[in-house]
Amino acid sequence: MDIDTTTPPPTDAPLLALSGISKRFTGVKALDGVDLDVKAGELHVLFGENGAGKSTLINVISGTFPPDEGSFRFGGEEIRHLTPQRARAIGISPVFQEFSLVPSLTVEENLFLGREASVGGVLRAGEMRRRAAALIEELGFDLDPGARVDRLSRAHQQMTEIAKALLGKVRLLILDEPTASLTERETGRLFELIARLKDQGVGLIYVSHRMREIRALADRVTVLRDGRHIRTLDAATATDGDLVELMTGRRIDVLFPEIPHAPGKVVVDVENLTLADGTVKEVNLYARAGEITGIAGLVGCGKSELVRAIYGLEPVADGTVRIHGTPYEAPTARQSLKRGIAYFPANRVAEGLALSRPIRENASLTALDLDRFARFGVLRQGAERSAVGAIMERLKLRPPNIERPVGALSGGNRQKVMLGRALTRELSVFLFDEPSVGIDVGAKLEVYAFMKALVEAGAAVIVVSSELPEVLALSNRLYVMHHGRVAAELTGADKTEQNVLASFFREEMTEAA
Amino acid sequence: MSDIDAAPSPSGLPALRRLAVQAALPIALVLLLLAFAAVDMRVLSLANLLNIAQQTSYLALFAMAQTVVILTRGFDLALGPTVSMVSVGAALAMASGVAAGYDPGLVLLMGLAAGFGLGIACGTFNGAVIALLGVSPFVATLGSYNIAIGIATTLSGGRPVQGVPDLFSHLFYGGSIAGIPAAILIAALVGIVLHLVLTRTVYGRALYVIGTNPRAAAVAGLPVKAILVATYILCSTLAALGALMMTARTGSGEPNLGGSLSLQAIAAAVVGGTSLAGGRGGVGTAVVGALFVTILSNGMNLTRIDGYVQMVVLGAIVIAGVVLDRIRLEQRG
Repeated sequence: MDIDTTTPPPTDAPLLALSGISKRFTGVKALDGVDLDVKAGELHVLFGENGAGKSTLINVISGTFPPDEGSFRFGGEEIRHLTPQRARAIGISPVFQEFSLVPSLTVEENLFLGREASVGGVLRAGEMRRRAAALIEELGFDLDPGARVDRLSRAHQQMTEIAKALLGKVRLLILDEPTASLTERETGRLFELIARLKDQGVGLIYVSHRMREIRALADRVTVLRDGRHIRTLDAATATDGDLVELMTGRRIDVLFPEIPHAPGKVVVDVENLTLADGTVKEVNLYARAGEITGIAGLVGCGKSELVRAIYGLEPVADGTVRIHGTPYEAPTARQSLKRGIAYFPANRVAEGLALSRPIRENASLTALDLDRFARFGVLRQGAERSAVGAIMERLKLRPPNIERPVGALSGGNRQKVMLGRALTRELSVFLFDEPSVGIDVGAKLEVYAFMKALVEAGAAVIVVSSELPEVLALSNRLYVMHHGRVAAELTGADKTEQNVLASFFREEMTEAA
Repeated sequence: MSDIDAAPSPSGLPALRRLAVQAALPIALVLLLLAFAAVDMRVLSLANLLNIAQQTSYLALFAMAQTVVILTRGFDLALGPTVSMVSVGAALAMASGVAAGYDPGLVLLMGLAAGFGLGIACGTFNGAVIALLGVSPFVATLGSYNIAIGIATTLSGGRPVQGVPDLFSHLFYGGSIAGIPAAILIAALVGIVLHLVLTRTVYGRALYVIGTNPRAAAVAGLPVKAILVATYILCSTLAALGALMMTARTGSGEPNLGGSLSLQAIAAAVVGGTSLAGGRGGVGTAVVGALFVTILSNGMNLTRIDGYVQMVVLGAIVIAGVVLDRIRLEQRG
């Protein structure tokens, strides 16, 4: 077997022991005297808001940069001058969110990158192929070792990254939000793998914002806030409320707000919609004012494409979309905004924001056709500054400087800039595509509260999400999509996780029949 | 998401290094002038400085033309041939007007209409091929490069077109206000207006957003294709203005007037700090870059450096400009 784990060190002595770790970046104290210990065979969750210091800490542990002060012990030895290469050599293996794969190489070439098996400079392709296949087999991933990485989905790239981390000797595995792009099934596989690694005495550091994963996996949880160690808790006894309160420093009882839905008129009416690329087939769906309509489904089921088509980003082959009762033909983003439809993309970096431009410009971008922001093509920058300033103040942007480039912001603050766009003009339909991907719990709560306010004001809100608890809790009515079609529409007491999952399988079974 | 707020900045003395990179060009400009002056004091004479300013006006106009398209991640390789074509077309129109005995004012209008008409046609063609047909700016403008050379040579028969009227030459070259030559006045006026357009209008704002993230611009409802077409038209119109000014200077329509202008203009823009990655730059970067390239060639001329060696130097400068752009981008993260 290729996951080579050495026997656990003698009892009780932690595998990794950090104490008083500090790290400072040009005046900002990213870490301030943080303690952390991870035992062999333990899964230790790092929990905190964006900017709390989690990433800095795992970068210190994996040797990306050295700490300014503090002691770092691994396997009982004092470690100094750690480099990423040396970290790997002693068995510290990180899986970062930013992938370290070479797109033009195959999966197996990436696995062995920099540590190729060779004899006298000649690659031993056969041996590498065999070992790669064996590893992937053992991990239970549905992954072709000969496939080029740039042709893989993000989920498969994530699997490649995990496989790469597990090739060779591993004593401490670091996973930074590993499930962000995995489907439920792949997530299940990963969890089984984690359980096996724990049995073999591997220590794990796991960064996640997802409560359900923390519940399922964690032995202990360390909460960081503003670069400081707040507390380390036993996962079995800590409640969600405790964790969130420690993380945000404020009392939060429930994660999802109570949303008083008051369904009114049908605002968005989709009839028999089929997209040109076939990702959505003959879908019927409606959304009413004053309620949140949820769309759940696995990655690739067509749920994102559906809302993108309503907004005008995907070509429609057949079917009708009615907005406020009038047919909306040949939608474009510009027309949609004029009709009061806003879309919040899942990938804010690729499709939402111009990162090097200031917050002010990004927030007003969808409203520059209004007299409020420009007259005869000339910008009214004074009005823009005060309007955007007030909006970002309302959304509690911290720090409240709207001239900073958006690229300098954390995920949660970037989402606030996107939400800010919703407040720059009159809108009645809000299409959210994976609204809480990549943002911390504190920011999630603010996004949910924002949706609640929209619904209370009588807007029609459609939420597309791969995170089941989220759509279940937020939506008044929930559509489940599968292979481009609506597999079920659930309301009231039927709106349960079991029913959602069952509708996937029912579909699978009818297809097989 | 990773903790981006705590992203590390480059090591060393960040503030000082940042300043050094951002202000590198103005410092280099002064050093360059002083170095040439050390060889030949005439470099710093009032007459030569005015000469430099006048020469810079033309290149600055062309660099501004390139800058607006470079902001959208494009460039215009056909700018030089466009200049040739406009020069020939405007001269032919005016020569025929003079031959027909029209009023000088009308002849001037005919020249302007022909010149700007050809410029706008060129820009519309480039913009439509790039934005509507989805051809890369490199291939599209390389194609129109040949088309424009062909048209300019055919129209003129390969020979200079004589008969440019005095009124035209006076307006675009000979004239001056308070001792400042027409070329400098025109370039300064265009520079100020373009700067206002880039910083104070919805169009200018859209240009930067499209250059920074074209997909986000489309999702936000900006009419990306229309803006791209308009931008190529703006580029070619500015090139046409420069072409008319150069035609006024030579006093004839020249089928070879554009020569190596396409690359010189891109070089000036990039050296000045316009980013080929899009979204960064403006009138300031175009003017500073044009000044740098002009001073360099002026100094090399005065110090009698061989013309072919000058080409080598200019080529190296372009590469250095792109490397500098890289370093700047990395610093900003």
